[in-house]
Amino acid sequence: MFGFPLSFGTPLILTALLALPVLWWLLRVTPPLPRRTLFPPLRLLRGLQDEEQTPAKTPWWLLLLRLLAAALLILALADPLLGRSPKLMTTGPLVLVVDNGWTGARDWEARQELITDLLRSARGRPVAIIPTAGSVPTGLLNEGEAARITRELKPMPWPGDRAAAAAALGRFNFAAPPALYWLTDGIDDAGSKALRDAFKRYGGVSLFAPTHSPLGLLPVTRDASGFSLTAIRANAGAPQDVEAGALGVRGETLAATRLHFKRGETRAQGHISLPMEVRNATTRLAIAGEESAGAVQLLDRGAAQRSAGIVSENASSEAQPILSDVYYLERALSPYAEIAKGGIGQLLDKRISVLLLADVAKINGADMDRVKDFVSKGGVLIRFAGERTTNGTDDLVPVKLRVGGRYLGSAMAWSAPQHLSPFTATSPFNGLEIPAEVTVTRQVLAEPSAEAQNRTWAQLADGTPLITAQAMGSGWIVMFHTSASPGWSTLPLSGLYVDMLKRLLALSAGTPARELAGLTSLPPVSLLDGFGHAMAPPSDVAPIPAKGFSRVRVSPRHPPGLYGAHEVESALNIVRAEDRLRPLPDSSLQAYGNTHARALEPYLLAAAMALLLLDALISLLLRGFTPRKLRWASAVLLTFVLVVPQARAQGPISEKAALDTHLAYVKTGLADVDSVSQAGLTGLSYMLRARTSYEPPEPLGVDPERDDLSLYPLLYWPMDPRAKTPSPKALSRIADYMRNGGTILFDTRDFTLGAVRGPSSPGEQTLRRLTTALDLPPLEPVPADHVLTKTFYILRDFPGRWSGGKLWVEALPPAPKNGAPPARGGDGVSPVIVGGNDWASAWAVDSNGRFMSTPSPGGELQREMAFRFGINLVMYALTGNYKADVVHAPALLQRLGNERVPQ
Amino acid sequence: MTQFSALQHEADGLSAGLPPLMVEADHLAASVSLGVHGKRRAGIGESFWQFRRYASPDASSAIDWRQSAKSQHIFVREREWEAAQTVWFWRDASANMSFKSGAVTKRARADLLLLALASLLVRGGERVGFTGMEGAPAASRLALTRMGRAMFASGRSALPPLVPFSRGNQLVWFSDFLDEDVFDAMKMLSQRGVEGHLVRIVDPAEEDFPYSGRTRFESPRGGEDEIFGRAERVRASYRTRFTAHGERVAQAAAKLGWTCTVHRTDHAPQASLIALHAAIGGT
Repeated sequence: MFGFPLSFGTPLILTALLALPVLWWLLRVTPPLPRRTLFPPLRLLRGLQDEEQTPAKTPWWLLLLRLLAAALLILALADPLLGRSPKLMTTGPLVLVVDNGWTGARDWEARQELITDLLRSARGRPVAIIPTAGSVPTGLLNEGEAARITRELKPMPWPGDRAAAAAALGRFNFAAPPALYWLTDGIDDAGSKALRDAFKRYGGVSLFAPTHSPLGLLPVTRDASGFSLTAIRANAGAPQDVEAGALGVRGETLAATRLHFKRGETRAQGHISLPMEVRNATTRLAIAGEESAGAVQLLDRGAAQRSAGIVSENASSEAQPILSDVYYLERALSPYAEIAKGGIGQLLDKRISVLLLADVAKINGADMDRVKDFVSKGGVLIRFAGERTTNGTDDLVPVKLRVGGRYLGSAMAWSAPQHLSPFTATSPFNGLEIPAEVTVTRQVLAEPSAEAQNRTWAQLADGTPLITAQAMGSGWIVMFHTSASPGWSTLPLSGLYVDMLKRLLALSAGTPARELAGLTSLPPVSLLDGFGHAMAPPSDVAPIPAKGFSRVRVSPRHPPGLYGAHEVESALNIVRAEDRLRPLPDSSLQAYGNTHARALEPYLLAAAMALLLLDALISLLLRGFTPRKLRWASAVLLTFVLVVPQARAQGPISEKAALDTHLAYVKTGLADVDSVSQAGLTGLSYMLRARTSYEPPEPLGVDPERDDLSLYPLLYWPMDPRAKTPSPKALSRIADYMRNGGTILFDTRDFTLGAVRGPSSPGEQTLRRLTTALDLPPLEPVPADHVLTKTFYILRDFPGRWSGGKLWVEALPPAPKNGAPPARGGDGVSPVIVGGNDWASAWAVDSNGRFMSTPSPGGELQREMAFRFGINLVMYALTGNYKADVVHAPALLQRLGNERVPQ
Repeated sequence: MTQFSALQHEADGLSAGLPPLMVEADHLAASVSLGVHGKRRAGIGESFWQFRRYASPDASSAIDWRQSAKSQHIFVREREWEAAQTVWFWRDASANMSFKSGAVTKRARADLLLLALASLLVRGGERVGFTGMEGAPAASRLALTRMGRAMFASGRSALPPLVPFSRGNQLVWFSDFLDEDVFDAMKMLSQRGVEGHLVRIVDPAEEDFPYSGRTRFESPRGGEDEIFGRAERVRASYRTRFTAHGERVAQAAAKLGWTCTVHRTDHAPQASLIALHAAIGGT
């Protein structure tokens, strides 16, 4: 349309736009609904006439709004499209062949959009949609049917059958040459040629292929430490990284690994290492981000069950269990495997996966063949040496054994008991830690031979083999050259023994669980859909006979999934070990998603609805409807906003104090004392602002009777005999303040009097009077190493207006005897600091910034020291014992440095 | 009840600033004291009026022995006949009175004025009562409380019930007097000898008619409505009618010798209270 890529599905509806002027006129003549009002003197209005009854008072912009909404509605109904739809080449029916096997699951949405676009272009023509997987329609479809089928079309979890599609195509009779489209998955297969031939009969075909070809995950192989994964892809092009993961029962990722396709390669290998328990919790492995049934490998559930059979000829087992081989094997294996005991024949009947022979020298002839058969089919035979073995064994051992044993560390032997040497890289025990206390005192010896060296999984420190193994068929024969009980070595007493047996268990293939459960036919339990998601099995999926399960291929009859009974489920996977993916050898492939036309209908409808809603709101307002309730709500909200914060704050002082960290003093109620406190803290504030990063606002006076003390880190409390004793309520507040980390500097202000008036000066008496009810901690004079002496300046004494008085703080725990740290702070800050040097006077400045008193006897130098004490004190109250830790920093760093250097 | 208490409180506050009312000041030149208004003739009362020679119908207990002992004759002490005024109140409680265009409904304003006036009168010693209330009118706080209860229990009737008014009783009648049947009721009450004081409560919207545009007017009593395409066009004629109606009420009252005051709910109640107090005191 005019070069702009806009088209309409049903352009006829656009003629409704012609009706807009009529709508305009109608809207103009229809009077708006009257505003309603109650009116008591209604009687007096009776019979009155207003001259004009046609109030065309609808504002022009409201009319315009409504017309716009109507126009949008009409445009939306005309099904507008932005973008170009694909042009069909011929005039005949549209025929779509869609690859919807599992390989088509990737980019499925793009494919469906393309189908929708093609259908839109073919408006009116008959359509045939032929999926390669799933049922094929016999006749041509009309538009609606085609749209419905497109919506229902899904990728199927089995390979598509292109030959069948070709046959279906051949059955159609088209009146006109059809427009053929093949929506491929980009993968070549045996049926492609047949389909291509079918296309040729009708002329050309347009091909579409996804930009990314699908990936497949080959069946995983278990090994001793986890899963080996192999992913495959179709085109051996650029290098590609994919993520693959092991998923648990609820779809949680247990482990993940990265598979890397090298340039020009179609296979990528990877390995996922998992502990045994987690491995058993794994239900499926999948390529992340690849939504396809072929990128999922389900694992047999219950396959991890391994049963071990223990055979012992040792008769003493019941009498002395601690000396019995069986006892140790059972203890080691029982957490990891099902244990069965008995004779060899009996055990093999039970379909065990690991057979343990403790000190069985010779297997009877009848059992011999069965054991061989067992091993070659994937069983693991583990043999232990013992008294009987020393006299020679049968030949089902990895290496030939010498008759007689070897004693180490006995009275007659030269050599000491041997330790194990570290495992070699090829040994399955590689990585296990060898405890130092494991020693071997007796063993059977292998005949030295070339292969004995290769078959050794563990050896003693002197190089003699301790554990040898040999593969036989798909199973293993493993020989421990020492006994299963601690008679010959301390190995059975160590954790290493358990770990070794655990790894040997993992060697076995395990008996298929379905055979253990004795099921004859396996019904579907949970199936995969085309995207690789689990779904409940539909009713038309047939059970699979247990015997032929391993030969069953995935097909529409047998979709991939888990078959069996609860907890004993066998997995049927799409991709098999021999499967490969080949790219479709066509050069004229178009990518999906290039020709997508965007439908504008929903947006226009939404816009029209929004306009109509707006119109409704405006009409309500014009009619005089005031959302009174809303106003109420906002009033209530406003009240909350305005009132609640004020309700919280206890007053202007608390509010101010809460907004900043203020220095504070306790108001005594005596004007002279309070003014000195105020001026003193003001002076200290100046100094703090000038010298430190703490910039206190003006100090506040607090009244413990009324104010909230918790907002201040430090309180200065001058003592004066005239002061009133605080009320019990105030005392409990002060106690709370000190308990919760506040610091109070009690200043008796009368050090000079101390010598004259004896030990209890008026200030001290006042202090006692005021604080008798308080639970003060034990005090001590500030020790030289107290953190208060180091928080900002290094100080030795703490002068104020007077000099020389003692400063008391909470007693610290005694310094450690050896190497006292350079500063001690205890935990937290001292709640009480008591002194008598009248600091406030020393700090006090008047409103012009002049000092108000002269310190005695030291003069200005003493004042400087007083300020330093003040700064130290504030820092102490603000930082707590942080400074005490900081002084340890060099020592800590030194220790850390020492750690790194090996000694 | 709390609603009433609040109202009573507000009414008390409102009346506090006004001088106590004296009903029938012409009868009461001598007794300036509050409450009791001497009739200046012998009767039932407490104040001394005169001594008079004993006559045979007098009871012997009426003899004032002290006065008699002073002379030859026997004297009887007579007291002044004192009588308090009885003022009845009525307030229209119909749905029309619940109308408000501003903050206050007409009914709420009427209630306030009523109680304020009653409070004043009680302070002046008058007996007050609400027509239809239980018990007789009394000159006490209790009477006020009883009135309040009766007011809030009075239902939604527009016209005062026909209580046994005595001749000379006063009736203060708060209403909007918009209905036609008030005139008949006024006549009937007047025939029973009631002296009426009409208080017309008017909402500003009723007087000013501030409506414009397409408006549908509905009666608060429901059932009736009137639509105007342009309400502002009928404003002038409505105002004329409304004023005429007001004059008609005033004339009807004047014809019966009653007073009529008008109170707009957007005006301060004090002014009207003073006017009312003057009106009642003037009779």
